Amino acid sequence: MSNQDRMTDIIDQQRQTISELQTPVIQVWDRILALPIVGSLDTARTADMNEALLQRIVDTGSEIVILDITAVPIVDTSVAKHLLETISAARLLGAEVFLVGLSTRTAITLVHLGVELAGVVTRTTMAKGLELAFARLGLEVVARRGSKASAALPLDEDGA
Amino acid sequence: MARVPIVRIGDTLVATVLEDLHDRDASALETELFGRLEQSGANGVLLDLSVVEIVDSFLGRMLNDIAVGVRLLGAQMVVVGIQPAVAITLVELGLELRGVRTAVNPDRGITLLRRLAAASGITDKIAGFGGSRGGNC
Repeated sequence: MSNQDRMTDIIDQQRQTISELQTPVIQVWDRILALPIVGSLDTARTADMNEALLQRIVDTGSEIVILDITAVPIVDTSVAKHLLETISAARLLGAEVFLVGLSTRTAITLVHLGVELAGVVTRTTMAKGLELAFARLGLEVVARRGSKASAALPLDEDGA
Repeated sequence: MARVPIVRIGDTLVATVLEDLHDRDASALETELFGRLEQSGANGVLLDLSVVEIVDSFLGRMLNDIAVGVRLLGAQMVVVGIQPAVAITLVELGLELRGVRTAVNPDRGITLLRRLAAASGITDKIAGFGGSRGGNC
């Protein structure tokens, strides 16, 4: 096997590993799924992601999906378009999607690009998204008696 | 015409599509559903599309139209059981059905209808669906 063939093999293997790592759909609670997106979104990846996510929604009967874009380096019009596709498709199955992990930079970029993500519930962190999800499902996170930790963040329902 | 039995359960009409809908079937369903709605005075419609595998732009538009019509007749409609592939097709066709409420399965659909009815102040009289889930409010 030539050196080049070996390199090609390694690259293929790595590509395979990366693509498997890219779309983990996690059930974080009954009826709540989370999908952390790492890296950039292109058409092929969005298609894979949609397939995995939509099937999971049906299998688990989930009502809420939290899409975390903290680890997406650049959110431009094309990425936004892909995200909107995912959000619309999930909504057709009856799941509501919260987009979390928006940074200041992302917000500024999107506003400047004229992408307002109208009708999409957005939050800055996964924690806030999860909290909103609990609120939507009528669940509450409370600190155990005698515990100093205050588990509950202040509620905000403005994105309803 | 494709078989779409419509049964009444309490204040809800349940329409279960049993095979793929062609253009004429969709129009017939619209007419029949509106007729039954007017005649029965039901306040909710549950449209089950779980066996539908093929959609086109016409059917997508029809779903929107049916939702609008149902609303005009004073009821709420929830479409349930849309398959992943169907959802992707609709989105690719640019039909996001923003005016249509959806739920992942009939159980969730009934819960949503009850919630909508409660929100609009209509007393819920759906027989046989007494148990409400945790998410109900």
